[in-house]
Amino acid sequence: MTKKNITNLAFILAGIAIIAFFGLRAFHAFKKFNGHRPPPPDQIETDVQLIREWMTVPFIARMYYVPEKVIFDALGISPKDNHDKSLEEINDEFFPDTDGLATQLVQAAILAHQSAPPPDAPLTPVPPLTPVPPEIPQG
Amino acid sequence: MSDYLLTQVINYGVPLLGIIVFIGGLGVPLPCTLIVIAAGAFARQGILPWHTAILISLVSVVIGDSISYSLGYYAREYVLQRFSGTPQWQQAEQSFQKWGPLSIFFSRFLVTAIALPVNLLSGTTRFPFKKFLLFDFLGETVWIIGYGGLGYLFGSQWELVNEFLSNFGGLVLGLIIFIVGIKQILNWQTKRHQLSN
Repeated sequence: MTKKNITNLAFILAGIAIIAFFGLRAFHAFKKFNGHRPPPPDQIETDVQLIREWMTVPFIARMYYVPEKVIFDALGISPKDNHDKSLEEINDEFFPDTDGLATQLVQAAILAHQSAPPPDAPLTPVPPLTPVPPEIPQG
Repeated sequence: MSDYLLTQVINYGVPLLGIIVFIGGLGVPLPCTLIVIAAGAFARQGILPWHTAILISLVSVVIGDSISYSLGYYAREYVLQRFSGTPQWQQAEQSFQKWGPLSIFFSRFLVTAIALPVNLLSGTTRFPFKKFLLFDFLGETVWIIGYGGLGYLFGSQWELVNEFLSNFGGLVLGLIIFIVGIKQILNWQTKRHQLSN
């Protein structure tokens, strides 16, 4: 067997290995991908599991339609100097002893904010006023 | 690296997106496809203006590709000193004149791992620059608008799009390597038959 043939054989084997590796991964990714449909354009994001450690507070606030202040309050930090930091950086700086605590706090704050009624909404629904007919004495 | 770049794209917007794809066009291995898909999602969320993002990314990446083409162009003398006249070099030049346009087009978005070698080879084999620019622009348009558009469409679920597309690109690369290996062996067998006859 010549040196060139060995190289060609190596090419074929490497090709098969790469096809098998990425083929399986692509198949699994397609199965996951296929189960999802694009969300409607005006849908407000509610799935807090989509929060990642690279995200910043303003980005999350925009993504979930939550005021930045709500998230900064939940983290117990000031927006000043922390505006551009990722959750990972915030976690490393303010909660160095607990991995992922910043993300958990943000998730909880968003869930609480999204499930709370808007501040100007009435506490209980009020039925519309209807005139009550006068009682007619019988007999 | 990806996480750091994503955070910075959120913070610095389109100018940084342009710099990242420009560096990627030069051949530096950055997760550019991931960034482009994410940028589409960011545009949907109103973080990036989609029209500026498309324009700046497209111009930046085409400039980056053109620079790597010119590296190959000016390295021709050095390459010729080493390989000039060898059958492998002649075969590479002939193949590239035939398959160049398709290689340039598909390596922009589908098999991005071979984009740099394709750019260098385009320059070294003196593939016409105008033709290179045309196929480069077409391929990069598919990459920016197609992949970025999928990110835009899927919004916060863009990671699923990236996972599928990056693995699919790997699968296509594997197929190319496999087919090249098979073709070489078939060529060798044909030559052997011709010699024995």
